[in-house]
Amino acid sequence: MTAAARPDAGVKLAGTAVFGTDVDVPGMLWAAFVPAPLAHGRIRSLDLRAARALPGVTVLGPEDLARFFGPGERDQERSLFAQGEVVYRNQPLAVVAAPSALEARAAVAAVTVEIDPLPIIADLETAFPEWPGSDVGASPLVAAHVHARHGNVEDEFRGADRVLSETYRTASVHQVALEPHACVAEIRGEVWYVRTSTQSPFGVREDTASLLGIPESSIVVDGTWVGGGFGGKGSSFLEPYALLLARATGRPVRFALGYRDEFRLGRTTLPAVVRMETAVKDGRIRARRVRLLLDVGTSLPGRDFATGYSIGFLLGPYRTDAFEVEGYAVRTNKPPFGPHRAPFAPQCAFVVESHLDHVARELNLDGEEFRASHLWREGESTLLGQTVGPFGIAAAFERARATARAWRAEAPPGHGVGIGCGFWSTSTGAGGEVRLRLDPQRLVVLEGEREIGSGSVLAGLTAVASRVTGLPRDRVAIEYGDTSVAPYDSGVYGSRTLGALGRAIEEASVALRRTLAERLGARGQAELSVERGEIYAEAGERRAALTLLLTPDEHDAGGLVADGRHYAPSRLIDDRRVLSGTFYPYTDFTGAAHVAEVAVDPGTGAVRVVRYAAFHDAGTVVDAGAAQAQVEGGVAMGLGAALTEEAIWSDDGRLVNAGLLDYRIPTLGEVPPISVEFIEGFAGAGPFGAKGLGEPPIVPVPATVAIATRAACGAHVTELPLSAERVARALKLL
Amino acid sequence: MTAGPVRLNVNGTARVIPDVPGPERLLDTLRWRLKLKGTKEGCRTGDCGACTVLVDGRSCLSCLTLAHEVDGSAVTTIEVGPDELLVARVRAAFEAAGALQCGYCTPGFVMAVAGLLRERGTAAPREELLEGLGGNLCRCTGYAAIVRAVDLLRTEAP
Repeated sequence: MTAAARPDAGVKLAGTAVFGTDVDVPGMLWAAFVPAPLAHGRIRSLDLRAARALPGVTVLGPEDLARFFGPGERDQERSLFAQGEVVYRNQPLAVVAAPSALEARAAVAAVTVEIDPLPIIADLETAFPEWPGSDVGASPLVAAHVHARHGNVEDEFRGADRVLSETYRTASVHQVALEPHACVAEIRGEVWYVRTSTQSPFGVREDTASLLGIPESSIVVDGTWVGGGFGGKGSSFLEPYALLLARATGRPVRFALGYRDEFRLGRTTLPAVVRMETAVKDGRIRARRVRLLLDVGTSLPGRDFATGYSIGFLLGPYRTDAFEVEGYAVRTNKPPFGPHRAPFAPQCAFVVESHLDHVARELNLDGEEFRASHLWREGESTLLGQTVGPFGIAAAFERARATARAWRAEAPPGHGVGIGCGFWSTSTGAGGEVRLRLDPQRLVVLEGEREIGSGSVLAGLTAVASRVTGLPRDRVAIEYGDTSVAPYDSGVYGSRTLGALGRAIEEASVALRRTLAERLGARGQAELSVERGEIYAEAGERRAALTLLLTPDEHDAGGLVADGRHYAPSRLIDDRRVLSGTFYPYTDFTGAAHVAEVAVDPGTGAVRVVRYAAFHDAGTVVDAGAAQAQVEGGVAMGLGAALTEEAIWSDDGRLVNAGLLDYRIPTLGEVPPISVEFIEGFAGAGPFGAKGLGEPPIVPVPATVAIATRAACGAHVTELPLSAERVARALKLL
Repeated sequence: MTAGPVRLNVNGTARVIPDVPGPERLLDTLRWRLKLKGTKEGCRTGDCGACTVLVDGRSCLSCLTLAHEVDGSAVTTIEVGPDELLVARVRAAFEAAGALQCGYCTPGFVMAVAGLLRERGTAAPREELLEGLGGNLCRCTGYAAIVRAVDLLRTEAP
C-alpha cells in the first residue's frame, strides 16, 4: 500500500509549522511554577517577597487570585495553587513570570516555603497493603466507587468445576508527546487570548473559564500545530496560569514545560491492581468477578470516569452470563490521573487476555480456541446490557490465528507466538459541528480541531469531504478557526474526529448540494465536478458554473455556506445492573486481534519482538495510508507499554525516572516489522460506516506480547511492563 | 566562557550574533536569537534527537552544544533552501513515504538522515543506517514509514 501524500508534509518538512513551543511574541515574559518540595504536608508559610523584589519579576500565589480577579465563580474543587495543604510533589504553590527563562528560574529559587510534612500515600500498596485480602470500601482514600452485577454470580461460582483467581498489576505510563506543553497568553483589550498546543481548543476555553471564574465568551483559544497529544493535551493545563500572568503584567507570557516537568506534572495513566476470578464449567466461562483498585492520584473531576469507563474493559470482548465488577478510585499523593491513548484499555486487555489464556492452560484447553469461542458477536450484550453493533473482532481473531499458525511453523527454539485482542468504544457521541464554504475554486471545511498528527483531520476529514461532495481531494481545504470563529467541537479525543465531524460534514454537504439543486430549478442534490479549473454544479437537466450560482453576497462572503452537526443518540444502559457509581455507555465497537513473535533471552529474560501483525475492524477505511500509519504508530507505542515503559514513584512520592533516558520509549531499532490488515464489512457509526482508529491499535499490544512471551519461555508475568527483570523472576532466574 | 559574539554560517548565510552568553546552547541561539524555530526543542538532555542540526556537515544535538563551541562553523538547519541537495532529497523521501505525523521529530530526523548519508553514503548497509537513527525518537509513526523513507533514499541514484 502506498501512503498518500499528507497535506501537512510541506510545512512540517520546511520547518515552518508553528507549534506551541515556537510561538514568539515581542516582549513576552517566561513563566515557571514554584513547585512543592514534598508530596504531602501543611503549608506553614509561603514567602514570595524575595522573588517579587527581583527586577522584572511578577509572582502570583493563592492570595492573588482574589486580589487581582475579584470573587468570580471559580472552580472551588480544583484550585490553581496548593491551598493550605500540598497533596503531590511539585504541585504549583505559585507561578512566576520574568524576562527570560534564566530569570524565571532564579525567581523560583528565591521563594521560601515552610511545610509541615504529613504521611505520604505514594501508591496502592501503601494505601491497601492487604488487598485483595482486605476490604477497602469505607476508607477515606476511596475517591469513587463503581459496582455492577448481572446474573446469579454466587450460584455459578458454587456450581463451577474450577474457579481460577489471579492478581495483576499494571504500571503508570506516560504519553511522551515529544512537544512539551506550551502556550503564549496575551490580554487583548477585554479578550483573554491564548495560543496553545492542544487537542481541544474549546475544552481549554471551557476549563479555563471555570478555573478562573470568567465567562467563556471573554476567552479566545487559538490552537497551534500540536507535537503529539495522545490524551495529554486534552484539557487546560498551563493556559490559566499564563493568562493570569498576562493579566497581572500587561505583557504576553510564554509558559512551556521543561521535559522533566512534563513527566512530573503530566496527567496520565497511573498504576492499578486487578483481581480476576473466573468460574468455569464444562469448558465454558460461567461467571466472573473483577475487582479493580485504580490509582487516580489527586484527581478530583474525572475520578468517576476513570473507574466507570475503564472497568467495562475488564470483562474484555467476551461473553459472560453472570458477572460482578467493582472498582475503586484510590487517592494517592501523585499528580492527577489523566487520559493516555485509549485510557487504561491496553492495561485491561493485558489482564483479561493473560488471565483467560491462563484459565485455558489450567484446564488443558487450547487458549486461542477458548478465547475465540467466547468472543462477542453482533447482537450480544455488554457489561451494561448494551447491544453490540457490527463488530469484526471474531473475524480479526480468525485472521490472526492463520498468521500465528504460519509463524509457529517457522519459529526457531526460544521464540514464541501469541495472539491478543482488545476492543474500544469510540466517542462519536460527543458533539461536533462544521461549516462548509464552497467557492468557484474549492471547498473549505471550517472546523475547530487542529490536526494533531494522527491524520484524522487532514487525511480523514479531507477524504470524507471529497467523497460526499464528489470534488477531488486537492479541491478540499481544511480551515481551522480560533474559538471565536470556529464551529463548536469538543476536541480530538476518544477516536471521535472521523466519526463525529465526518458525519457533520456529510450533513452539511447534503444541505449545500440541495441549495445548489434548488438554484438549478431541480430537486434532490446537485452533483459537483471540476472542469477547466472551475467547480460546476449539475441537477436535473441543468448544469452551471458555480460562479454563476452564487449570489453577490455569497461572492463577497467567500462562497456558499452550509452547516452540519453530529450529536449521536445516547445509548441506553441497563440500570438494573448498576448497584453504585457512574458507568458510561460505549458507542461504537471497534476491535482488533494482534499477533507477535517474540524471542526471550534465556539468561536475562529480555524480550525482543521479532515480528508483528495487526488485524483491525475499523469499519470502512476512508484513507488507507493514514489508517495504516495509525496502526503502525499505535502498535509501537503499545510495545513500549508492554516492555519498557513504567513511571516509577518512590515511597516519598517522587517520580524517579522523569526523563527520556530512564523512562524508555521504543527506539527505531526496537520496533519490528508490523503488517497491517483491515477487516471490512462491519459498519460503524461514522461516515460510510467508518470507525475511529486513533486509539484501538494500542489496546491489544501488551496482551499480545505477554501471551507470546509465555509461549516462548513459559513465563507467566502478571505485571506490566514485561521488563527483563520481571520475566527473569517468573522464570526463577532471579 | 564569557558572553561574546558567535560567528556562524547558517544555511549559507554568514551571521555574527553579538553578546551570546557563554552557557547558551546552540539550540537556543538558533531558535530565539536567529528565530529559526524549525529546529525543535524536546528534552534538552540529548535523549530525543528533535534538535538535531548539521554542524560542518555532521549531525549534532544542538541542545548539548554550546553556541561558542561551534564558533566559526557552518550550521545547516531544516530551514535550508532546496539548493542544499542532500536535505532536499531527504525531505522528498519523507514526503513520498509519509514519514511524519505530528511533525515534531521531523526536522531532527531529516537532519539526522542527511548527516548519516553524508557520512556513510547511500551504499552503506541498511542496518548501519538504521542503527544511526537510534538516537532520534518518534512517538507517532512507529518508525515504519521513516524506515521506508530511508529505503527509498537507498534505492535512488544519488
